[in-house]
Amino acid sequence: MANPMRSLLSISALLLSGWAFVSNALADPICVVDDRGRDVCIDHAAMRIAALSPGATELIYAAGAGDNVVAVVSYSDYPEAAKSVTSVGSHTRLDLERLISLQPDLILAWGTGNPTEQIETLERLGLPVYYVEPHEFEDIARNIDNLGALAGTSQRAKEEAKRFRTGIDVLHERYKQAPRVKTFYQVWDEPLMTMNGSHYISKVVDLCGGDNVFADSPRLIPRLSQEAVLLKNPEAIIAGGMGERNANWLEKWRVFADLLATQKDNLFFVPPSLIQRPTPRLLEGAQILCEKLDIARARR
Amino acid sequence: MCVSMLSVVFAITQGSVNLSPYAVWQALLGQGSGLNQTLVLELRLPRVMAAFATGGLLAVAGALMQILLRNPLADPYVLGISGGASVAALAAILLGISGFLMSGMAFLGAVLSTLLVFGLSARLGNTATMRLLLTGVVIAAGWGALITLMLALAPPHKIPGMLYWLMGDLSYASTPWLAWLVLVPTCLILMPLGRSLNVLARGPLQAAALGVNVKSLERFVFLLASLLTAIAVTTAGSVGFVGLVIPHMLRMVLGNDQRLILPASALAGGCLVTLADTLARTVIAPEQLPVGVITALLGVPTFLYLLQRGRL
Amino acid sequence: MTKLKLTQLLAAIPNKSPQPTHALSLTFQAGQMWGILGPNGVGKTTLLHTLAALKAPALGTIELNDQPITELHRLRLAQQIGIMFQEHQDGFPASVLETVLLGRFPHLSPWEMESEQDLALAHAALERLDLAEFAQRALNSLSGGERQRAALAALTAQAPDVWLVDEPTNHLDLHYQVAVMGLLAEQASMEKVVVMSLHDVNVAAQWCSHVLLLYPDRPPIWGKAASLLTQQNLEPLYRQKLAMTELNGKPLFVPIA
Repeated sequence: MANPMRSLLSISALLLSGWAFVSNALADPICVVDDRGRDVCIDHAAMRIAALSPGATELIYAAGAGDNVVAVVSYSDYPEAAKSVTSVGSHTRLDLERLISLQPDLILAWGTGNPTEQIETLERLGLPVYYVEPHEFEDIARNIDNLGALAGTSQRAKEEAKRFRTGIDVLHERYKQAPRVKTFYQVWDEPLMTMNGSHYISKVVDLCGGDNVFADSPRLIPRLSQEAVLLKNPEAIIAGGMGERNANWLEKWRVFADLLATQKDNLFFVPPSLIQRPTPRLLEGAQILCEKLDIARARR
Repeated sequence: MCVSMLSVVFAITQGSVNLSPYAVWQALLGQGSGLNQTLVLELRLPRVMAAFATGGLLAVAGALMQILLRNPLADPYVLGISGGASVAALAAILLGISGFLMSGMAFLGAVLSTLLVFGLSARLGNTATMRLLLTGVVIAAGWGALITLMLALAPPHKIPGMLYWLMGDLSYASTPWLAWLVLVPTCLILMPLGRSLNVLARGPLQAAALGVNVKSLERFVFLLASLLTAIAVTTAGSVGFVGLVIPHMLRMVLGNDQRLILPASALAGGCLVTLADTLARTVIAPEQLPVGVITALLGVPTFLYLLQRGRL
Repeated sequence: MTKLKLTQLLAAIPNKSPQPTHALSLTFQAGQMWGILGPNGVGKTTLLHTLAALKAPALGTIELNDQPITELHRLRLAQQIGIMFQEHQDGFPASVLETVLLGRFPHLSPWEMESEQDLALAHAALERLDLAEFAQRALNSLSGGERQRAALAALTAQAPDVWLVDEPTNHLDLHYQVAVMGLLAEQASMEKVVVMSLHDVNVAAQWCSHVLLLYPDRPPIWGKAASLLTQQNLEPLYRQKLAMTELNGKPLFVPIA
């Protein structure tokens, strides 16, 4: 859609939400490109932001605009401050009424999580929508930059984005020559699930010098049988999961004495909150995962 | 009629945001704050209208199928008709089809499903009840499996748009107008047909003996019921049991005259789904429930009661 | 004067090839009371359904007042020909009154509601068959005999010129057998055509003016009851030895082992 049209929509949104009194409509609009490649332009720094996924919440806080967040969804548990922000339901079924009544001036939507129809309704009401769907490390950094620009906190956002980029670069330098480790990352236990090479977790594995044994799988999140894993005979198994304590996921692999990962005791746990969300915390998760693969190398 | 008006009014005044009835009234008149207008005109009103139309469509579809099968347990959801429409609509989404074409696909899915169920069980006389239900249940299960399969195969960015086919949900409904465009003429058409349907409910032979053109009437009712189901499904996914509960309750109160039952079904079905959806969006707000949860919680006991009573 | 004329008519009986020598050519006249007799499975019910135009014949034509019934509109036909079925299909709940009122269906246009007069006719029919107190009862809560009477009440409310009745005395106790046959005789006396299938030859002997005997293995015969109801005609009909006596001037047949 053309820019003038979009700004027209944003203006009408502001009118609708009772912000017509603000009279600096002549200021230059702020424009960024979201993860769907769409131009998102707003006339003023967003002061009332709705973050419709836990990941988006983390990103907007990371961009230094946590104080501007007026709405989040269930499971938005990081940072701690986000827990006290008004919830507008689960990401799959939003309470639009409550969301609208909070009069947001920027929506951070999750394209693969929020219902298409509900996001369309928000757009129809003239609210600017920015899609957050990072797939690469750079996407995370860029999102932080973009959100900072939209919320008028560019300074802090740039610092945070830089910290993240540098951290990833350091890991990249450290492990690009390291011997490769055949790695199985377990997303879930029952059913047994992993991810293919295009998923960002797989990119973390790759970053740390690991080879995701299911990188070639056609589906993003394949469901597997244990047999498929045994056949691949990974050297290391890393488990994530929903909670922070699921050691028993790993215990199940101990039954298979012939499995390389079991023989070498390379059964590791990485806190899922640090790796299963594409947010700045991924750096921390990557550091832990890299350490685990180092341990595996040491046991050769 | 009054009750249905009241239920609509009630539904519009209720929401996760508290608005006074006066504020709602002002918003409806185009006055009051912009926010209230948005809430009422853009969010509540379309949703309530969608809920009412969906309920009306499903209840009438259920009542028609019960006449066609001469069995009070017939219901678009129980018999897997909704499932067929859902599968076709999902296929449409996967193929990137939307709007009227998607409704068209859903209609074909509903017709196919109805043909299967009726073809396998309709012409068997008194012993058909069990067979009919089994056929319907098995077909519904088959569609359910296909839905799961399609969800598993769908690219991730299409999944959020598809999930509500699992259980009827009005959170995503945005265009109630198609549903109304079908519901209102249907009620008008059914008025003069009511007496013929009364006769048809006594059996095809009896109806023919009393001068009803049974074949063409049955074919018409069959297509109409499929159409109503398909439109309801494209509006709100497969909301269950409305077509079962409503005609049953109305028969207890109003008797068996289809001239009364059919329009009353449209109104009462509308009320039921409107109220159920009001419950669904407020009871544990901000978390929203799919409306199908509420209707199923009402419908399953009714179904079991009807089955238990054994008057079949 | 109403008449129903059959020309070279053969009903289409499932799994039987039509035999042209068994064709029927006769006329049911107003004021006559016809009984169709024959063993089980010979096609009495099928013939009645064919006469009501519910089933296409294998051969031949049926004319109502010199007009082929296939050319009449279904609704117009239902105003003139009414049928009561042997097996009542009451799959769907309805009250007795509602059932009887359905008899008025062919007489009303689509937009019309039943008038006071229709209601009065229905109530009169219920009264006639001693069902007044059952008016609001659910049809399926009735006994077999009561349902049989309700079906006949519906036919009475329909008030056709031609009454086709499949086994009118089924399920009925002796009192109502007589009452029902009396009702049909009364219709015949009012210049209606009454055609019924009967399994009880003595009921036919007692009430019918004419009979049609359908044999499984030879051509049918028809005519005045008095002349056709004889041992020679009936024994091959039922493949059963019969004894005959007389009661009040009417023959009475008893099977002998």
